[in-house]
Amino acid sequence: MADDLAAEYDLLPKMIPNLDRHLIYPLLQFIAGPEDEQTTEMKQMRFNLLKATNMIDYVGQLDAEVNNLPQVPAEYTKKREQILKKRDELEAATERISELLNDEAVVNNLRSDKVANMSYLKENHQVTEEMVNSLYEYGNFQYTCGSYGDASELLYRFRVLSTDNDKVGEATWGKLASEILSVQWEPAMEEIQKVKENIDTRLFNAPLDQLKHRTWLIHWSLFPFFNYEPARDVLTDLFFSQPFINTIQTSCPWILRYLAAAVITNRQRSRNSNQYQKQLKDLVRIVKQEGYEYADPLTDFVRALYIDFDFEEAQKKLGEAEEVLKNDFFLVATAESFVDSARHLISESYCKIHQRIDIKDLSTRLGLSQDEGEKWIVNLIRDTRVDAKIDYQQGTVVMNHPPQSVYQQVIERTKGGFFRTQVLSAAVAK
Amino acid sequence: MSRFFHSAESSSESSSDEEEELLDSGDEESELEDSEEDSDADEDSDSDSSSDESGKGASRFMIDVSGSDESDTESVGPVVKSAKDKRFEELEGTIRLIENAEKINDWAVISTEFDKLNRQVPNLIRQNDSKTPKLYIKAIADMEVLVNETVEKQKGTQKKMNAVNTRGLNAVRQKIRKNNKEYTKDIESYRADPEEFMKEEEVEEEVVKPKKPKRSPLEIAEAVQGAEDDGFTMVGAGGKAMQYTPESILKHLRTIVESRGRKNTDRVEQTRVMEKLFDVAVTDYQRIRVLLTLISTRFDSSSVSGSQMSQEQWKLAQQEFSKLLDILESNKDIVVIEGAEEWEDDDKLPTITPGEIFKVPGSVVSSVERLDDELTRSLQTIDPHTAEYVERLTDEASLYGSIVRASLYVEGLQKNPELRVSQEVANRVVMRRLEHMYFKPSQVIELLEENTWKSIDSKRDSQITPRSSAKDSTTLVQSLCTYLFEKSEGIIRARAMLCQIYFLALHDHYYRARDMMLMSHLQETIGNFDVNSQILFNRALVQVGLCAFRAGLVYEAQNSLQEICGSNRQKELLAQGLQMQRYSQISPEQERLERQRQLPFHMHINLELLECVYLTCSMLLEIPLLAQIGSSPDIRKRVISKTYRRLLEYHERQIFTGPPENTRDHVMQASKALAAGEWKKSAEFINSIKIWELMAQSEKIKEMLSAQIQEEGLRTYLFTYAPFYDTLSVTTLASMFELTERKVAAVVSKMISHEELAAALDQVNSVVIFRKGVELSRLQSLALTLSDKASGLIESNEKTLEQRTQGTAHAFERQGGPGGRGGRGGRGGQRGGRGGGRGGGQHRPGGQQFTGGALGRAIQA
Repeated sequence: MADDLAAEYDLLPKMIPNLDRHLIYPLLQFIAGPEDEQTTEMKQMRFNLLKATNMIDYVGQLDAEVNNLPQVPAEYTKKREQILKKRDELEAATERISELLNDEAVVNNLRSDKVANMSYLKENHQVTEEMVNSLYEYGNFQYTCGSYGDASELLYRFRVLSTDNDKVGEATWGKLASEILSVQWEPAMEEIQKVKENIDTRLFNAPLDQLKHRTWLIHWSLFPFFNYEPARDVLTDLFFSQPFINTIQTSCPWILRYLAAAVITNRQRSRNSNQYQKQLKDLVRIVKQEGYEYADPLTDFVRALYIDFDFEEAQKKLGEAEEVLKNDFFLVATAESFVDSARHLISESYCKIHQRIDIKDLSTRLGLSQDEGEKWIVNLIRDTRVDAKIDYQQGTVVMNHPPQSVYQQVIERTKGGFFRTQVLSAAVAK
Repeated sequence: MSRFFHSAESSSESSSDEEEELLDSGDEESELEDSEEDSDADEDSDSDSSSDESGKGASRFMIDVSGSDESDTESVGPVVKSAKDKRFEELEGTIRLIENAEKINDWAVISTEFDKLNRQVPNLIRQNDSKTPKLYIKAIADMEVLVNETVEKQKGTQKKMNAVNTRGLNAVRQKIRKNNKEYTKDIESYRADPEEFMKEEEVEEEVVKPKKPKRSPLEIAEAVQGAEDDGFTMVGAGGKAMQYTPESILKHLRTIVESRGRKNTDRVEQTRVMEKLFDVAVTDYQRIRVLLTLISTRFDSSSVSGSQMSQEQWKLAQQEFSKLLDILESNKDIVVIEGAEEWEDDDKLPTITPGEIFKVPGSVVSSVERLDDELTRSLQTIDPHTAEYVERLTDEASLYGSIVRASLYVEGLQKNPELRVSQEVANRVVMRRLEHMYFKPSQVIELLEENTWKSIDSKRDSQITPRSSAKDSTTLVQSLCTYLFEKSEGIIRARAMLCQIYFLALHDHYYRARDMMLMSHLQETIGNFDVNSQILFNRALVQVGLCAFRAGLVYEAQNSLQEICGSNRQKELLAQGLQMQRYSQISPEQERLERQRQLPFHMHINLELLECVYLTCSMLLEIPLLAQIGSSPDIRKRVISKTYRRLLEYHERQIFTGPPENTRDHVMQASKALAAGEWKKSAEFINSIKIWELMAQSEKIKEMLSAQIQEEGLRTYLFTYAPFYDTLSVTTLASMFELTERKVAAVVSKMISHEELAAALDQVNSVVIFRKGVELSRLQSLALTLSDKASGLIESNEKTLEQRTQGTAHAFERQGGPGGRGGRGGRGGQRGGRGGGRGGGQHRPGGQQFTGGALGRAIQA
């Protein structure tokens, strides 16, 4: 049952076209399970995936395993030699410039102006365009070989020097991939920012390319999204920003799952409930709009809870969502906190609507035993400062919803008025 | 036959010095070219009209003669013989006059005589089996030589001729050069060997003779009768005697083309002539030329009279068009293409070498467009409720076939890059095809396609719409539209988009249609398009609305129908009939234009159904809203549909309301019932509306409506009666509205959560507890209104300032910003500002709106 669910909502086929070969690898590794239980089929899949890369040793080994060969086929040795040769060539080509960049005296002379830098290097150190470009090639090569750290360093250097904007853009993508694969989240976040700016400025006139690049960026940034805590807020905001939410709606509605998970789990961390409420509202709106195009247990949960107010359905979907989460590469780590937050949400809106709740009933709704449920409610009352009391004798919780006072409402509405008028008059005076 | 020998003598003299002259004349020609061209045009028309006139005079007594003179070559009846010979004699006389004048160098006389000569010749040609009389050739050939000589001499001597003479000389020289071009071949052969040339004539005549039917003089009566028969068909336009031979086709065509657009041209006659010509035509080239002219002449017959083409004419034109395509399809060497060069020489046929492509000027696409327009025009005028309309409508199938074939043809032409067929032509024909398809249900399209492909040669296939795709209308429309999206731009692309939206909406693909509508951003630019496209936009919009309704999306349906139906000018906006206005300021000119825009009846969207859907949707939205407003007076302003409100007020004012008669009455009474919480009665009223039967799956729609009415009824009930209850059992509510308890709970929860209802649920007893003390005093509600107004004031001030500074003042940037994707999400931001407003606008948040439909102003323009 659980496997079926997971299989039904498996997003891998949809994600793969938007990811790089190297980025797909960890995903495949994840669904394949631990090394010793892997089937040949899985290995075959990985073999096909990596065949085009330069990670010869590993590919050779995989090939041998897939085809039950006693040892790595000879062609790989040959290939390996070729690749090593190539590497030497590239290394030789970039040797000079690398040396220069390692030389502190030279680095100190570099300014932020790329053109000036280039002419400086040309004049004083006989650096040519080709040498800079070979940095790029070498970086690319290193990346396909799987040494991501080196690749990222090389691409960084290339970017500093090159004036070729297209290649710089590509180098940024390359560096982002390298950072992700070498689990350097902080630089990866910087790269995401850079790529984003790049898309906004450079592809201004090509809406289709913009869409495509944004789709990629959204997929790539899922890696830091769920693996690096500080990235969560930044990326949630990024995804909710107008261009990106449009991209999600148009070309990849399945990202809503991740967005929903992120928003819901954000609850625990962000004490800023205003922002949280706003995000939740946005999420509900988008889930509702895209309901005809995409639905999985997570979005269904949101829909049941906030659009249909069907608590039983929400509870059911929560169970399914848990299964789905456990089988998702990105979300596996957040499964527990998601369920926890989701429960909070259910009980929160439940309490908001009801005046008197049977504890037993609520506990079953939350999927807890009665004792656990009671504890849960007590915690809830304490956490959210709901005005509620437990009537132990009858086993109920009694909520007290004081109506918002009219005076409070009037104050609320006229609150910003003074400030806004001031700003206005200041602007007029200008 | 002595007359031939007579002149042969004199020619021998001039022919001797021919060679020298030839060289000179070449040089001069280029010198005079400029002046020639100017005079050309004038002369052409002059000579044409004059020949017409002279012909007319003669024809009165020539009618029976012209026919018989063929047969009389054998029998030497003196009277009859003279008819032809008289002409010859006249000719001879003129030539002699010219010769005399030549001798005394009187160019003024030569000029006038020459004109006369030319006038005589066409008649002779016609009588002479369309061969030019040798005599004439000889005369003009000699004259050319002489003219050239004289000009030479003039230059040499420096002695001036008098003014009249000089003018005459120049006139003749120009005329002759132009004139002789037509007969170059004959003249050349004459020059090569004058004696032989003159002799040939006789031999030829000998050959011709036996072919002709022999009749004895005794049988004259019979001959005359026969001649009448023959003569009747042979007499051409203007009563000239005409003979149709393959060689003369092009000439006839030219005269017809030239007379086009003139007064007094008898088109019926011309078409008859051309039909005849088509029968005589031998080569494909001739046939194509005849057909092209014929089709365009048929179209002329309608444009002048201002009325539509008659059905027979249209049918004939359509048949001829398919004949044309037949020929073009079978003969790949000739192509009809726009902007090809015209073949100037009427006497000769162009040599068409197989394998090479010969271009004929003309346009297949324009013809088919014209056919289409004519059919639409006639459909506009025919009363749609007659059998005639249905009958006429059947022609659409054949027209559609023609369009498809034309599109295939153009596609074929495009494959040859040398022809440089402009993409625009192909787009036009594809667009036409799409326009015949988009409003039809898929079964009809599939049938149409099947029949069309059956009639087309099985070997031919299309790239744009392969034969195999004909079975599935959705992919067919999709592929046509995709083709246009890729290849075209501007208005055609927009129209293709609208057609596809319409089609999708018609086939219940609501979300796809809506997304296309929103993503096309057409509602922002549609105001700049032409009126017909705006009408198409309105149609698509309405269709999307109806589609939403069928899908049960009441809010969306109301929203997209609002613009058109709320305007009270549906007829005008959809081009489905003229709106009769009492105080109309429409000028007759505007009215005529509007009449032209009307859509044929079979494309109409049922207006009554539309109104019914719109009112029903409005009811479902407005009644709960009214109930809500009734209990809290501070939000009185919100109105969803003004039209509906007005109708409702009118209905309420009535003193006596009888049983409902029309759709409107039904909806109004249903509204009343719903407002009173009697959902069953309301549903009954709505379901008894007859017009639902017109919708596909009317049963399902009725069910959907009943369910909606149940839910809205519950909401209305809660709004209306909340102040009078302390608690309400969920079970009671469920049984009252025949809903499940879960559903009732969900509805109530939703209302509570959106702060529409001041209540809470008690889970233990499963009751709704209404909160007390929420009723506001007058002062309190006024205070709330005041605060609202104050914030509104600030907001509008900010807006004004923002406009003044053109958005530079960032302090006032609104949340939400410009919605990047049409209406989506644009609403959230504005709502935020209102925040605490209790029960204000939270009803169904985040919907999408279609805004900026093509408004009436464009129609008035």
